[in-house]
Amino acid sequence: MSRTWRLLIVLALALLAFQVAFAPLDLQGYRPRLRPPALRVNLGLDLQGGSRLVLEARDTPQVRATPEVVDAAMRRIEARIDQLGVVEPTIQRVGDRRIIVELPGVGDPERAIRLIGQTALLEFVDTGDRSLPEGARWNAAGTVVTLPDGRTLPLRKRVILTGADLADAQAGFAEGQVAAGEPVVNFQFKDSAARTFEEHTARNIGRYLTIVLDNRVISSPVIRDRIPGGRGQISGGFADITEARDLAVLLRAGALPVPVDVVERRTVGPTLGRDSLDLSLRAGAVAVVLVVTFMAVLYRLPGVLADLALLLYALFLFAALTALNATMTLPGLAAFVISVGMAIDANVLIFERVKEELRSGKTLRAAIQSGWSRAWSAILDSNVTTLVGAAVLFALGTGPIKGFATTLFLGVLISMVTAILVTRVLVDTVARPPLDRYLRFGL
Amino acid sequence: MHTWDLIGHRRWGYLLSALVIVAGLAGIAAWGIDFGIDFTGGTLLDLQLGREASLAEVRATLGGFGLEEAQIQKAGDRPREVLIRTRVLEEAEVSRIQRAFAAQYGGAQVLRAERVGPRIGRELRRQAVVAVLVGLALQVLYITWRFRSVRFALAADVALVHDLLIVLGLYALTRRTVDSSFVAVLLTVVGYSINDTVVILDRIRENQQLRTREPFPRLVNRSILEVLVRSLTTGFGAIIALLILYFYGGPTLRDFIFGLGAGVVTGTYSSIFVASPLLVEWHLWAERRAGRLPAARPVVETPPPAEAAAVGAPPVPGRLRTEPARRRRRRRR
Repeated sequence: MSRTWRLLIVLALALLAFQVAFAPLDLQGYRPRLRPPALRVNLGLDLQGGSRLVLEARDTPQVRATPEVVDAAMRRIEARIDQLGVVEPTIQRVGDRRIIVELPGVGDPERAIRLIGQTALLEFVDTGDRSLPEGARWNAAGTVVTLPDGRTLPLRKRVILTGADLADAQAGFAEGQVAAGEPVVNFQFKDSAARTFEEHTARNIGRYLTIVLDNRVISSPVIRDRIPGGRGQISGGFADITEARDLAVLLRAGALPVPVDVVERRTVGPTLGRDSLDLSLRAGAVAVVLVVTFMAVLYRLPGVLADLALLLYALFLFAALTALNATMTLPGLAAFVISVGMAIDANVLIFERVKEELRSGKTLRAAIQSGWSRAWSAILDSNVTTLVGAAVLFALGTGPIKGFATTLFLGVLISMVTAILVTRVLVDTVARPPLDRYLRFGL
Repeated sequence: MHTWDLIGHRRWGYLLSALVIVAGLAGIAAWGIDFGIDFTGGTLLDLQLGREASLAEVRATLGGFGLEEAQIQKAGDRPREVLIRTRVLEEAEVSRIQRAFAAQYGGAQVLRAERVGPRIGRELRRQAVVAVLVGLALQVLYITWRFRSVRFALAADVALVHDLLIVLGLYALTRRTVDSSFVAVLLTVVGYSINDTVVILDRIRENQQLRTREPFPRLVNRSILEVLVRSLTTGFGAIIALLILYFYGGPTLRDFIFGLGAGVVTGTYSSIFVASPLLVEWHLWAERRAGRLPAARPVVETPPPAEAAAVGAPPVPGRLRTEPARRRRRRRR
């Protein structure tokens, strides 16, 4: 292949990579539109702020946390997060009973965690002629109640209806004379449950229907009359309207089939995320400029060509990360710097070799030829060992470490290609009169 | 090209390595390794307070929650920021602590909040150990296979272990926290160290194949010098980049960058002063065992002070000449 062709191929690839990484051409619409280029790679939670939660499902006496059950829990959690209005959350099951939830840019992570980690099993319990105070708790087996003052009381939990029987739930404020303005949750039963509710209330006037959330009593109202139509209201126990809203969200999304524990939680505040991004980008830019200058001073024209190849490398890397939908994390940026170092190293190795060949009296062409072919084995070995390390980190690492491994792996792979092939194409392009007299490789 | 006799002075290298490693081990013995919550389980709270607060003040506030034993750190260049590490706390407790700080110090913005359950901590620890061991094993296997020589691979491995010991020791000496990102540091340092060693060993191998009439120590010395420019150029470039990231890249990455920087320095050093001399030692030992060298070994016998005096002298006056016959070397390539 002629030199011109190879140069054209490199140029075409560079344009393609630029489009993938920065998308200056909007190809979504009917006809392509130009727009200002912007970096489109995903930013990790450490760079944009957000929370990462690892949830672990727990067995209950009734239900075992099988993968199917955990998947069902995951769908419920997904529905709850949707209601939080988080942009692009990710939720995935890892192993048999773990769920990883990533919430970019959540302003109030505590609330999110409360919403996600709560089982939210609502139960309507027939407690006969006994009213239970708010905060009383049933044990897991549903046989004993512990009162807020610490006394225990043997009492079977006779469940009439559960949250699964609800068709809808909305937060609002109480109307009427008593406790007007207090936050409440209004709910609506499904048709069949509405009939059960009506029958139960008709037969138990004067007795208590206790409302229990995750085995904790919310309120214990007396049944005054038959309630037709399946409408009802939960009041009491809400500190403010947000709590009522949260319960409504939980009820609409449905209870988790098994309880989950938050076993790991990492939150990066938005300030720190933005700070880290700004600082590392600036530091990265300064470092790259210095290294680029260093190469140009050391090797002159070939150094500049190596710098060009380096620029292409950065372009290719970001295009690859974007195309693979990978995530750029803070350690990922460090990996980028490391791979820049390795790309530079490859070129230094080659150039030093070419210099030696020139010193031994070879012609420029011959020196380039043997410089490249002789430096190859050392470059390959060092890159492969790093690739092996990156692959192991990718397989065994989590979160930000995975981001590091991805970037390092892709970076080393691509930089090997650009530092060897692209630099060669560029050097070959100028290795003829009149420019070839500038190809002294710093001699 | 200058003719520094690096191989002749290799015992100074051993001494320096030994000193640094012993200091690091002493640091580990004295203070232990400060494992982060990743590996122990616990809670980390990184707060930006409304005003500057002393460590004692912060400790008093935490005392209100029964957390007097918490670890509290402050970064020198960020007086309003405190980093608190303590046992695993419930979500509600974390909120209460944050509110208490906000009330007392005129605001407390959460920069980072992490909670790792004890079981997850154990898992991460096991994962980290597995990652380091598997990574090391695979990298060593690759090098052994590439060189088709246990001798070369072992020399590279010893240099590697040397580097890892030094980096770990420096973490202990500077009281840095060892957490998940340290695993990434270790494997990257492994990559760099092997990289650098391979470049030199590669040249030694190449020279062995080309010129067989040169005593092995001198051949190794020449090989080192031939690639020295490259080693230093690359190492220097890497250090510049890392220094900039260290000082301007924000506090989060600092320990990470520190580890990488230490790895680059010791990786470059160990290829020249550990891996290559070891090849020479092994070679001389093999020769002696084969009875080619007389019991009195001129190269090893010279005491260190005399070697120091020999700096700048032409390559190892009178020593390398006592090296055994050339034909032997032809067998190994």
